[in-house]
Amino acid sequence: MTSNAKTHGINISSLQREARDLNLSRETTTLQVKDLRLSYGEKEALHGINMDIPKKRVTAFIGPSGCGKSTLLRCFNRMNDLVDGCNISGEILLDGSNIFDRSVDVADLRRRVGMVFQKPNPFPKSIYENVAYGLRIQGIKKKRDIDETVEWALKSAALWDEVKDRLHESALGMSGGQQQRLVIARTIAVKPEVLLLDEPASALDPISTLKIEELIHELKNDFTIVIVTHNMQQAARVSDYTAFMYMGDLIEFGVTDTLFTNPEKKQTEDYITGRYG
Amino acid sequence: MRISLTEWTKSGSPWVWLNAGAVTICVIMVIGLLSLIAVRGLGHFWPADILQAKYSLNGNQSLVIGEIVESEQVPAEQLRDAGVIVPDGTKMMRRDLMKIGNRDVSGIDFTWVLDSNLSERSYPAMLFATERREWGNFYGYLRALKEGDTLIGQYAGYDKTPEYMALWNRFEASIERALSIRKDIYQIEKHEIGAINYELERLRLKQRSLELKNVVDPVAYTSIETRRNELNTEYEGLQQSLIDLYSEINRDSIVAEISNGQQIDIAVAKIVRAFRPNDMGIAAKLAHYADKIWEFVSDDPREANTEGGIFPAIFGTVMMVILMSVLVTPFGVVAAVYLREYAKQGFMTRLIRIAVNNLAGVPSIVYGVFGLGFFVYFLGGNIDQLFFPEALPSPTFGTGGLMWASITLALLTVPVVIVATEEGLSRIPRAVREGSLALGATKAETLWKVVLPMASPAMMTGVILAIARAAGEVAPLMLVGVVKLAPSLPLDANYPFLHLDQKFMHLGFHIYDVGFQSPNVEAARPLVYATALLLVVVIALLNISAVQIRNHLREKYKSLEM
Repeated sequence: MTSNAKTHGINISSLQREARDLNLSRETTTLQVKDLRLSYGEKEALHGINMDIPKKRVTAFIGPSGCGKSTLLRCFNRMNDLVDGCNISGEILLDGSNIFDRSVDVADLRRRVGMVFQKPNPFPKSIYENVAYGLRIQGIKKKRDIDETVEWALKSAALWDEVKDRLHESALGMSGGQQQRLVIARTIAVKPEVLLLDEPASALDPISTLKIEELIHELKNDFTIVIVTHNMQQAARVSDYTAFMYMGDLIEFGVTDTLFTNPEKKQTEDYITGRYG
Repeated sequence: MRISLTEWTKSGSPWVWLNAGAVTICVIMVIGLLSLIAVRGLGHFWPADILQAKYSLNGNQSLVIGEIVESEQVPAEQLRDAGVIVPDGTKMMRRDLMKIGNRDVSGIDFTWVLDSNLSERSYPAMLFATERREWGNFYGYLRALKEGDTLIGQYAGYDKTPEYMALWNRFEASIERALSIRKDIYQIEKHEIGAINYELERLRLKQRSLELKNVVDPVAYTSIETRRNELNTEYEGLQQSLIDLYSEINRDSIVAEISNGQQIDIAVAKIVRAFRPNDMGIAAKLAHYADKIWEFVSDDPREANTEGGIFPAIFGTVMMVILMSVLVTPFGVVAAVYLREYAKQGFMTRLIRIAVNNLAGVPSIVYGVFGLGFFVYFLGGNIDQLFFPEALPSPTFGTGGLMWASITLALLTVPVVIVATEEGLSRIPRAVREGSLALGATKAETLWKVVLPMASPAMMTGVILAIARAAGEVAPLMLVGVVKLAPSLPLDANYPFLHLDQKFMHLGFHIYDVGFQSPNVEAARPLVYATALLLVVVIALLNISAVQIRNHLREKYKSLEM
């Protein structure tokens, strides 16, 4: 496996997490969730979630399908606003201010809280235009500024070397893994504070998955990252903190190593040992 | 090995045969229709040989000269009833339709002859045909060429000799000269005097509008008067040169002998072209054929639309369809975007969709009546009151015209565009929209920058369907602006270049007019086929260009298979 991975130019050792002294209570909070309830019509999907997402760390949400982890993630940039009949109560504080406040501009919030989806969704434009899209939306016109940011974003997403000679070709000609990294580059180009990743590797092959995981590891120096994943090994590999959700409730939230090796709750233990889900 | 009927039915083969059969019938019908109009229409331009023969009917002998256009079998009984003496024992007889031309002499230019009664058939090389500006074709023998009253040359025999050829060549040179003078006359009459008249009319309207506004400033009136005097002087100069040109062009004339021996004078100025088809090789005939086809697509019509070209009709059709597309696309797209993206889906939107779909099924004449009542009389009348009071009582927009026709057809085709665009919008993946929204784009930005470009191939599909429907539509146009002969094209060199208020010609209406309103049915029939073929070609070209644009867009935004 190791030799095979090396032939694809992936440094596995960078994924091996350094032994660190992590503790939730000592972290700075970026997103604070306060008694968040969400219902689709009559059906309540989140039953009062409380949690603090730490700054510049990777937080993973795990849990069986339909447990509400993606729904919770989509609350952070108010993507649920687009769903008809969706009701939200409670608060989410981004750097101390409620994102559900009437005065908040949703477009502005989404600029600060970027999101990457399960399936790569590049626009049918050139690679360059995909990354420049968010900048143009912000009204940046100077070509040099855009050029610099595009290059920086593609380098940060470890894509620059692969695409620098074909920046003006269509993004739809790239492989799935490249497309997903392009989408990440596009998201970080607008320099958000928080990066939401909704099962970013579930539609990709193992090599591309590994590259994405390596990328997440790099990106947490600059961004607060929240990742939803079905894959517990992935959660264990990339995250600092892990939250286990079940049936719309947050069951347990703590340091990843502890949660996987020594869970406090029986439900968590049952899930990670594969007894259900 | 025998297969039972039940098993054969179960295997699905009958369905395959049924479907294949249906497709075959469709293809055969389309090809058959196209070939019919192509053969009938294009054959008309071929220079047919001119037959000279003795014709006897009920004991009367006469010489006939002309082209055989078509033949048919008729029952002898019918001929007997018409008073023709028919030999006993014959059941069916062949009769030929001959184009004998010379309508100015005989009053008719087509006649039926019994094929068996023609004798001593020959195709003399000296026989010539001319197309004239009036009275249709002329067939006969060239006898003399005159310049004013002086005789330039003459020839009396029936054989092709060098003397005859010398006379013929001088005749051709004389036609050449007359045509080039006619070109100058056309330039002066149509363009130069046309422009002066146009400006004079504008000056008149300007003065009238000053009067209506009770302006008393004498300077304004004087400047109009000065300009008018300048134009009138210019006009008189042109008038003088026209008089000179007309006396030049009317200088030459020929004398020709027709089938009954009569000698006819024809002014060379009236001749479009003269040729001797019996003496033409295949190359010469092909050249003549190409020349005629070119004339057909590029020239103005002559003789109540039964001769000459149909360029104004082609131009009018294309112009109207393009204007219609330009009007219908934004309107249909905006409506579809609202319905699909912004309106709250529910009873109302469903009702609107049903209404839109039903609108597509309303008979087109109803749109014509609506266009006439609402656009022409109401809107046009009010526009005239507000903006063109100086031209009243003659209407500017208060009568049918290019703009009203385009708008009426746009209204007729807008449901197609709405439905196609909605379809396209609904097929844009949600993920792409979310991707844009997640980057901080507003809904409008997402629509404008991502969704609409991706839906553009679907919009083009709508436009293609709209063009296909609008280009072939005639009934509503008859009410809102099509005429059988428009004096000028809606696009010309006079400010403001595009004349939306002008009436125009249209291929579909042209077919109706030439085929069913023409005094000379036999002469018009081949033109109906030729015009129909051209209409099909024009619609096909418009459609193909729209399909090209769509394919280009599809290539650019091919992400739906993601």
